[in-house]
Amino acid sequence: MGKPCHFALFDLQPAFRLDLDQLAARYRERVRDVHPDRFADAPQAEQRRALEQAAQLNDAYQTLKSAPRRALYLLALQGGELPLETTVQDPDFLLQQMQWREELEELQDQADLEGVAVFKRRLKDAQGEVETRFAACWDLPGQRDEAERLVRRLQFLDKLSQEVRQLEERLDD
Amino acid sequence: MPLLQIAEPGQSPQPHQRRLAVGIDLGTTNSLVAAVRSGLAEPLADSAGQVILPSAVRYRDGRVDVGQAARDAASSDPFNTVISVKRLMGRGLADIKQLGEQLPYRFVEGESHMPFIETVQGAKSPVEVSADILRSLRQRAEGVLGGELVGAVITVPAYFDDAQRQATKDAARLAGLSVLRLLNEPTAAAVAYGLDQRAEGVVAIYDLGGGTFDISILRLTAGVFEVLATGGDSALGGDDFDHAIAGWIVEQAGLSADLDPGTQRRLLEAACAAKEALSQADDVPLSHGDWKGRLSRSHFDSLIEPLLARSLKACRRAVRDAGVEFEDIGAVVMVGGSTRVPRVREAVGELFGRPPMTDIDPDQVVAIGAAIQADTLAGNRRGGEELLLLDVNPLSLGLETMGGLMEKVIPRNTTIPVARAQDFTTYKDGQTAMMIHVLQGERELVRDCRSLARFELRGIPPMVAGAAKIRVTFQVDADGLLGVSARELGSGVEASIQVKPSYGLTDGEIARMLQDSFRHAGDDKAARALRELQVDAQRLLESVEAALEVDGARLLSREERAAIDEHMQALRALLDGDDGSAIERQTKRLTQVTDAFAARRMDASVKAALAGRRLNELEE
Repeated sequence: MGKPCHFALFDLQPAFRLDLDQLAARYRERVRDVHPDRFADAPQAEQRRALEQAAQLNDAYQTLKSAPRRALYLLALQGGELPLETTVQDPDFLLQQMQWREELEELQDQADLEGVAVFKRRLKDAQGEVETRFAACWDLPGQRDEAERLVRRLQFLDKLSQEVRQLEERLDD
Repeated sequence: MPLLQIAEPGQSPQPHQRRLAVGIDLGTTNSLVAAVRSGLAEPLADSAGQVILPSAVRYRDGRVDVGQAARDAASSDPFNTVISVKRLMGRGLADIKQLGEQLPYRFVEGESHMPFIETVQGAKSPVEVSADILRSLRQRAEGVLGGELVGAVITVPAYFDDAQRQATKDAARLAGLSVLRLLNEPTAAAVAYGLDQRAEGVVAIYDLGGGTFDISILRLTAGVFEVLATGGDSALGGDDFDHAIAGWIVEQAGLSADLDPGTQRRLLEAACAAKEALSQADDVPLSHGDWKGRLSRSHFDSLIEPLLARSLKACRRAVRDAGVEFEDIGAVVMVGGSTRVPRVREAVGELFGRPPMTDIDPDQVVAIGAAIQADTLAGNRRGGEELLLLDVNPLSLGLETMGGLMEKVIPRNTTIPVARAQDFTTYKDGQTAMMIHVLQGERELVRDCRSLARFELRGIPPMVAGAAKIRVTFQVDADGLLGVSARELGSGVEASIQVKPSYGLTDGEIARMLQDSFRHAGDDKAARALRELQVDAQRLLESVEAALEVDGARLLSREERAAIDEHMQALRALLDGDDGSAIERQTKRLTQVTDAFAARRMDASVKAALAGRRLNELEE
């Protein structure tokens, strides 16, 4: 990677388990120095550099803040980017995905807001469980396949929770 | 005059040279300018002592009226008097028809698709009308602060899209203002409250202005204001309350819906007055022609309920977007004149489960926050008191992909500035060009999103389909303005565009307007010189008055006192007029007759100061 590692920008060691409060505090410290507002009447070249640095810092912060994106980034750091499209060898999880989607459709048909709240809690628990498993294996040699599988699960769960939010919005209409 | 201002020992009367910068709230209904003076942010008043400048501009033969005079003429001269112009900023004619209200203006289409309003002074774009308001505020500020401005922070609704922001920046440019930053209105309000209360935690800002509604969720930590989410409705505001009441009158009085512009204006004025009265009264009388009726507050509440519901829905969405729960929100701040409506306060209080904060005047809070940020950006604040505002982009930005779909590149509520790249490829063998269509919006289909720009990347070397790798980079700066570039990675062929909003001004239009503004520059200069003389005279009067109160009886004979009073009165009489040289002459005379008094005061104060010190201190 040509760019400095996202973790290094915040003086952190690459790790999946992160103290998010510490990350936020370091982000606020760093962004103070590079934000374009600090260069409101500096020469154009400095303004442009500030813009680039701030944009880079923001991108790093957004990546590390989100568990699925952080996981993906860690694997990319370790062994190269994951292929964008691949046949997922994870039959158990595929089955569970289908069940979840069916449930969500049912909740939508019945406009069941309370059911949505319960669904959200279950989703959160599932995310926590996958995160724990990922944290335990991502940096172990020979566990790359397992780590990739878990990242894809995290990504799916993240997408599902976005869909739940969209559903909430629709039910709010 | 300086002799009369006696400073305490060890204190300099002249603070270190500050760079003059102001905050401007360019509102739909009213506009304000504020500045930090002696460490305190406050709105600046015009020569009549008015802080609020109604956002109304009337074009007349050979002159332009801005403010109350223009607002007063809105019904009698509807074609030449432009109000609520902010609703037209960055909009095309088609959008304006969609606003769903009858505007009394005669529109013509310009070179671009921007609507121009026909007036006795020719066709005026919304940008020019806004520039006239900004110019008036700039002159006021320069008069009061006594010098040229290094720049201004201008506030915009968080929900303003790229076109609306660009239009606001264009207006500032026409008005001769250098924009230090476009600041989102809710963020400005948070700054005003945050500084005041040194608060920490999550705050919601509910901003219901004349024409727009914004809701923002912010986290304040150690001087950093981080916008977590923002949402709203750029076509919902207090004006809609007026329209609701006016519609009710039309229905009750059995009027036909097709009314002439003057009648429309009168109805809206009556509606607005009724709305304001209902903040205090339970019930107001209304009349129109032969019709007489009464509107109760509870009926008014039911008229605005659907509008209110729209704003509350946007609140729930913003809270979800912010990833927080209602219980996490420690305070709700009310901004905008429309939050004076009791039902609005009540409904917001119910939703957030706590009474909203209304300590700072909801009409002034945005300008005050903008002034604080302007002071920071101009470099007048250093060290610990410096604030940092981290805003987000309000709407998703993306590209058109195959099948008329919108592919999001930067999702809404991403902290700005931000840059993000996405790779695309060619879909035909030998394809040498690619169309890049930049979009803004949340919907899936291109036709439901706002088209921001189109440009073409040419000169791609012919290859088989899918072999070229085209990287499109979106960059949003701290003002929320977007630049897009595209590059074919193999050959390095490149194309980029600073997004020109589809309803922005063409370069030709900007050039013409700049010329126009130069033509008026002479008038501007004279007006500013007069204003400066008035301010100097006013300051002299105030300091003489203050000195007379303290030492007049002790240090002056009756004749001397009478002479001073007479010259003060003469100067006051000249103040409201526009004879600059007379004001200048009389200011000099008053200074002369108070010279001896000033000298005596100085002597007296030196004696007093010496009397209070021990000898050895003086020898050092």
